[in-house]
Amino acid sequence: MAGIYKGKYASLGLFLALTALPIALGIGYALLRSMGLAGLGAEGFTLRHWEAVLSGGEFWRSLGLSFRVAGCSIGLAGVLALAAVLKAPERWQRGGLSWLMYLPLTLPAMVVAFVVFQMLSGAGLVSRLAYKLGLTSGIQDFPNWVNDSWGIGIIAAHVFMATPFFIILFAQLYQSERLGEYAQLAATLGATARQSARRVIVPVLLRQSFPTLVLYFIFVMGSYEIPLLLGSQSPQMVSVLTIRKLQRFDLADIPQAYAIGVLYMVFVAAAAVFLLRNNAEKTSSTC
Amino acid sequence: MFLQVSNLSKTFGKEQVLRNLSFALDAHRMMSVLGRSGSGKTTLLKIIAGLESPDNGRVELEGKAMNETPAHLRNIVYLYQEPLLFPHLNAFENIAFGLRLRKWTEADIRQKTETMLDHLELNGQAKKMPAQLSGGQRQRVAFGRALIVEPKVLLLDEPFGALDTETRTAMQQLLKRMVAGSQITTIFVTHDLKEALLMGDEIALMQDGLLKKYETKADFVQDARTGVQEEIGFWTNIQSR
Repeated sequence: MAGIYKGKYASLGLFLALTALPIALGIGYALLRSMGLAGLGAEGFTLRHWEAVLSGGEFWRSLGLSFRVAGCSIGLAGVLALAAVLKAPERWQRGGLSWLMYLPLTLPAMVVAFVVFQMLSGAGLVSRLAYKLGLTSGIQDFPNWVNDSWGIGIIAAHVFMATPFFIILFAQLYQSERLGEYAQLAATLGATARQSARRVIVPVLLRQSFPTLVLYFIFVMGSYEIPLLLGSQSPQMVSVLTIRKLQRFDLADIPQAYAIGVLYMVFVAAAAVFLLRNNAEKTSSTC
Repeated sequence: MFLQVSNLSKTFGKEQVLRNLSFALDAHRMMSVLGRSGSGKTTLLKIIAGLESPDNGRVELEGKAMNETPAHLRNIVYLYQEPLLFPHLNAFENIAFGLRLRKWTEADIRQKTETMLDHLELNGQAKKMPAQLSGGQRQRVAFGRALIVEPKVLLLDEPFGALDTETRTAMQQLLKRMVAGSQITTIFVTHDLKEALLMGDEIALMQDGLLKKYETKADFVQDARTGVQEEIGFWTNIQSR
């Protein structure tokens, strides 16, 4: 019996040492660095780097852009994936198309960013096509879809990557949650296909996939390669802003990068805990 | 006839599930259909509900052909073996589902659903989610959800299969009471001999894709294929030992 407990505590200790400890050390160091208590050029305790970040506006614009890009990407990819699964649920569960869906998931983010750049930039394929069709008279007429302040290029790249993933997720949930049977039942109760989708299938799919959607949202918010290639100079997404400040020649900017990192982590962790706990409470009352 | 099924045939792959099956049912009657697994009971019900298409044959309701009518316009409710309550809706909203589709006013929905909850002896359970209800309660909600829309025909596919004996008996009585009260024409499919005899005003046997409807329950009891004589023999032997 004592051996079992010993083994259990050893496993727990190893797990904490490999996961929680590095994170805690990282956050601790970032906090000390942002307060002038550690690192090169440590000047002693000060909150001026935090004040600069919180009152400067750059961080908030950056955080807003990150939220907006993640929200639009997840929203658009979610709608596209839902439409595809609702149209033909069985098509994505077996056969060639179900395999094809895995292909975009194998592409590195940088490759996707490069492809989107080649497609959507002023000198890209879409612009050239528009020119050939007489829709534009030159590069200057083509709208800024990459390196723009709205993050259109970033959103396009993330939608390209997320849509197949969501299709696979929703198609598997459709099968495991027996939504085909629910749809038939709803039909005999008088529901049209549209009513059945709106009142039964979509709510169940979104509820069951909610934790995954939240985690993907966080992943998009923190992505680096895609906004680095396709984002604008200002505002930048939080990850790009943080790295830019970390790599500045001016040593005074480096503590600000650490402060941004800590703030971003706090926001994301708080949002994730709030959303996932709410969902867990709803789910536990129905399981 | 209220419900007329004529020469229905259905084949899945190489297996012929229904073979020129025909029967008729008067309004406000409950017909029990006894049949083993794989005898084509579920396929028959799904064709009547509009969830499957027959290869041949006709389904007529009140003299009108139903073959081309989609399931949501037939007003024929099909209940699965399991209650299949919508997992994101509480008991009240599950029952009110059909009324909301029909765009009833909020006050009418509330009044009618609460009355139904009362009939189902589910007072105090309205806000519970499906997983917080017992098996019997879930089945009651499923009945309430079906009956509240006042369907022309109710199709029940072994609805008590997953319930324990005591709950099953209580649910049989409740269903008989409620269906009789609402005067809904019902087809009740079961593989349980006793349940088939207890539930139906009329009784039929389904075997190898064919349905035989009996004039009286006595005829059903006398037919060796139904298994009643075998059952009687078994209990007589037990008693005489």
